[in-house]
Amino acid sequence: MSIWNYVVTAHKPTNVTHSCVGNFTSPQDLNLIIAKCTRIEIHLLSPQGLQPMLDVPIYGRIATLELFRPHGEAQDYLFIATERYKFCVLQWDSETGELVTRAMGDVSDRIGRPTDNGQIGIIDPDCRLIGLHLYDGLFKVIPFDNKGQLKEAFNIRLEELQVLDIKFLYGCSKPTIVVLYQDNKDARHVKTYEVALKDKDFVEGPWSQNNLDNGADLLIPVPPPLCGVLIIGEETIVYCSANAFKAIPIRPSITKAYGRVDPDGSRYLLGDHTGMISLLVITHEKEKVTGLKIEPLGETSIASTISYLDNAFVYIGSSYGDSQLIKLNLQPDAKGSYVEVLERYVNLGPIVDFCVVDLERQGQGQVVTCSGAYKDGSLRVVRNGIGINEQASVELQGIKGMWSLRSSTDDPFDTFLVVSFISETRILAMNLEDELEETEIEGFCSQVQTLFCHDAVHNQLVQVTSSSVRLVSSTTRELRNEWHAPSGYSVNVATANATQVLLATGGGHLVYLEIGDGILQEVKHAQLEYEISCLDINPIGENPNHSHLAAVGMWTDISVRVFSLPDLNLITKEQLGGEIIPRSVLLCAFEGISYLLCALGDGHLLNFMLNTSTGELTDRKKVSLGTQPITLRTFSSKNATHVFAASDRPTVIYSSNKKLLYSNVNLKEVSHMCPFNSAAFPDSLAIAKEGELTIGTIDDIQKLHIRSIPLGEHARRICHQEQSRTFAICSLKYNPTSGEDSEMHFVRLLDDQTFEFISTYSLDTYEYGCFIISCSFSDDNNVYYCVGTAYVLPEENEPTKGRILVFTVEDGKLQLIAEKETKGAVYCLNAFNGKLLAAINQKIQLYKWVLRDDGTHELQSECGHHGHILALYVQTRGDFIVVGDLMKSISLLIYKHEEGAIEERARDYNANWMSAVEILDDDIYLGAENSFNLFTVRKNSEGATDEERGRLEVVGEYHLGEFINRFRHGSLVMRLPDSDVGQIPTVIFGTINGVIGVIASLPHDQYVFLEKLQSNLRKVIKGAMDVSVEELCKRVEELTRLH
Amino acid sequence: MESVLGNWPSYDPHNFSQLRPSDPSSSSKMTPATYHPTHSKTLPPPDQVISTEAKNILLRHIYQHAEEKLKPKRAASENLLPEHGCKQPRVSS
Repeated sequence: MSIWNYVVTAHKPTNVTHSCVGNFTSPQDLNLIIAKCTRIEIHLLSPQGLQPMLDVPIYGRIATLELFRPHGEAQDYLFIATERYKFCVLQWDSETGELVTRAMGDVSDRIGRPTDNGQIGIIDPDCRLIGLHLYDGLFKVIPFDNKGQLKEAFNIRLEELQVLDIKFLYGCSKPTIVVLYQDNKDARHVKTYEVALKDKDFVEGPWSQNNLDNGADLLIPVPPPLCGVLIIGEETIVYCSANAFKAIPIRPSITKAYGRVDPDGSRYLLGDHTGMISLLVITHEKEKVTGLKIEPLGETSIASTISYLDNAFVYIGSSYGDSQLIKLNLQPDAKGSYVEVLERYVNLGPIVDFCVVDLERQGQGQVVTCSGAYKDGSLRVVRNGIGINEQASVELQGIKGMWSLRSSTDDPFDTFLVVSFISETRILAMNLEDELEETEIEGFCSQVQTLFCHDAVHNQLVQVTSSSVRLVSSTTRELRNEWHAPSGYSVNVATANATQVLLATGGGHLVYLEIGDGILQEVKHAQLEYEISCLDINPIGENPNHSHLAAVGMWTDISVRVFSLPDLNLITKEQLGGEIIPRSVLLCAFEGISYLLCALGDGHLLNFMLNTSTGELTDRKKVSLGTQPITLRTFSSKNATHVFAASDRPTVIYSSNKKLLYSNVNLKEVSHMCPFNSAAFPDSLAIAKEGELTIGTIDDIQKLHIRSIPLGEHARRICHQEQSRTFAICSLKYNPTSGEDSEMHFVRLLDDQTFEFISTYSLDTYEYGCFIISCSFSDDNNVYYCVGTAYVLPEENEPTKGRILVFTVEDGKLQLIAEKETKGAVYCLNAFNGKLLAAINQKIQLYKWVLRDDGTHELQSECGHHGHILALYVQTRGDFIVVGDLMKSISLLIYKHEEGAIEERARDYNANWMSAVEILDDDIYLGAENSFNLFTVRKNSEGATDEERGRLEVVGEYHLGEFINRFRHGSLVMRLPDSDVGQIPTVIFGTINGVIGVIASLPHDQYVFLEKLQSNLRKVIKGAMDVSVEELCKRVEELTRLH
Repeated sequence: MESVLGNWPSYDPHNFSQLRPSDPSSSSKMTPATYHPTHSKTLPPPDQVISTEAKNILLRHIYQHAEEKLKPKRAASENLLPEHGCKQPRVSS
């Protein structure tokens, strides 16, 4: 790897933090607007549901998002403020379909302590000002003038230092805020202030309320006619206004989000930390509040935002699980829930840990993440590939082959789907209701298996069975001509195109027929020395109906041969090598280049470039696509030819930049595939898999596909063990009903195919699983799972005790083989020189694996290294150890075998609070820190002085805007020996917001090229919030200086 | 329960009327096109680039206070005149 690194996002943030509903894209449109960390998404409500309109990247992490309606406007404006104190007001220009920036600015202050409880951005309901609480003790006002234009912002001193929430009150003649705060005795109160815009100061407000619920955390302003505010606590909910005070007790819960239902503010949806949604009702007589009522409705993902949409549909945005579209029903379901989940929108965040595995052993990495939190915890299997969107499916066992046929030669659509079974052939056709129903083609023989079918010229169809070739009219469906196999011989394999038929009978006989109008003519016969296993005459030349080449795969000598047509002269013979027979051959052309593909019985695929005039085969390449025999078929998607390789690991082969690429299909086993382009299902594929026939359309080539495995608990660490074909995770389960000590921690073993829990080891009370690896030790052939733990006692600031547990997997069970107590939390474990390297609080500790007299093993401390604040992340390479410290950036240690000691070699003297580290190569190390930056440091081995050599030099800095929890070496694309991509080393990262990204180390020239491309793109594409790049760079510098 | 649950607000009765719920166990594909603005309206009008007033909040407070102090003085002196007028006769007497 090099110092020239390219950072790219493979999966955008999916963690939903904010949402709002309003008339944004036109006065008639109702829009849902969602914030996902650095992006906003605009959706339109429609009869069909939520329609995605636009995904808008924002230069910054969104801190607040509000829709508002300036005076005299017919549609809403969007106010966005970012964590780095930039804000903008966006308006939708419905004529051009563009976002227009109405206003923007910088609302940072040079002095000020950023608030601990997050930034607050609110807009006066009468649109007189925007209020911001960004620094303790300051309230920033951006006033509107009477034309709705923003004026210069100013600060007002806010006496309350520990602010929990601020909202504007409705129905006040002067703009009035209500402040929920905590005093220095930890008691919570609310207070109101009028904002005197002219004096730039607060005036005591109309009322205040002291000594609220100790868990009060959220204010909900109530619109007219009721006005006032709801104060949501953990045990009570209070309604408060100048002349009313109503309170109700609630089941103890922490309310995370609310959504107003009625415009008059009489009902609200509240979502709590367990994912329970409740309806809060303000009962009132006329305009006088008489009381509060709360009704639990049901469970959803843990909500971070709730937006009532329309007609009882509600959007639940979540940071901890998938976001959802739910419907509120009038009647409870069988479980007593009034909530019906109609759609789920995938969210990978927070990605706490992940691993890269090649479960199918085909050279393509899959990322398995620990995603979600609390009850919404899950594992997600993310892999790159092609998706089939199922349109229809029917149960059908024992499919042996499938072909689609047209009802006339120039019909653009397919009508019939011929499905062949071991002793019969059935014909399906689309009826007038666009349903697939069984039909008959009288001229076809339906009592036997069909070997091949094809459309032929002159409105004819061809059916090849083991005994004959039948030529049938596609209009009358009657038999027009038939060619019979010589007696004593049966047809084994056959192929055809619109004008030609090639078939092979037992004994190595190859027969070539030509199709005329109502006539099948045997043109040529050849006797080969061995049996024929497969053949193909797909036209790849000028004439789409005729081929002048035939490809033939052979038994016995395991070769593929190219013959000329019509004379059946052997042109080329290519030995395939090995003992596996070719099972499918295909002539095809991609981007003007002709290829011969040859699939073997063991899931390997050979490809050759084919010279169509000489028949010469060159440039042989071999890839493994699966383990079962492959059947090859061409199909077209978006006017390009693709090849579908049906097998236990179905793959689509296509070409890009004149290179063959292979992409996984998100299906398990596919036995047969044929294109089926019917009027009702245009551009579709018919797919036979696992006893079912599916009609589906194909996605865009190359896309990440995500499979979700809900755990119902929070997985925090994951690792894979190739030998036992298992995953092990450290997880914790919350049990909110059982009181205080409700957390239970586990080490769980999962099958790597089914993802089922197959074994569980429960950790002690207060014991947290911190890290897990699979490793082996010197002088011991077994593979172990090693788990590092910490006893997190409520009275301790830092854990002072932990354990290292060593497990084997025996008969699918976790067996504890050894355990070692440690003097602190085991934050990280690494296999290191046949030993185990652990990061325990401030220390790096090396353990050796020692055989005791009784034949059992134990971990024995060998040496260690002190001098870290907390050694949280450790990576090793050879004898080098790279440590990511809680707050002291990266340091490099070396293990000295002879002395049995670990010494510091160099360190980065910046004060970075690390969140992940990785080693790119011997000299370059990669780090991520808590201000959302990435950086690389270089070991300076050539330094002139000890001082220089002891310093890790920062060589790369990048502001990502994402909090990275984990780096892993690996790749999401299939690495093939013949592609350049395979040569570029890559590191994958996962973030809290559900981003999966890739860092690729490029050669310098490519890096320069991409950088130039980037700067040119920037000149054309402008950010919705136009922050210049120079400013961004400055900001990164600032960030690195600040912490 | 029904009394509080019913009667959900409806802005357009057609919204969601033809929703075909996908299998809730599989995640919905909802990926909007990414916005790449190339127009010039990504910058607001020059007077709408907002910043915070440069004057320090404490200085502003002091000035405001000073003004407030000055104001009543002037007002007082104006008011005082007639008072003096009233008092003058006493002095004179």
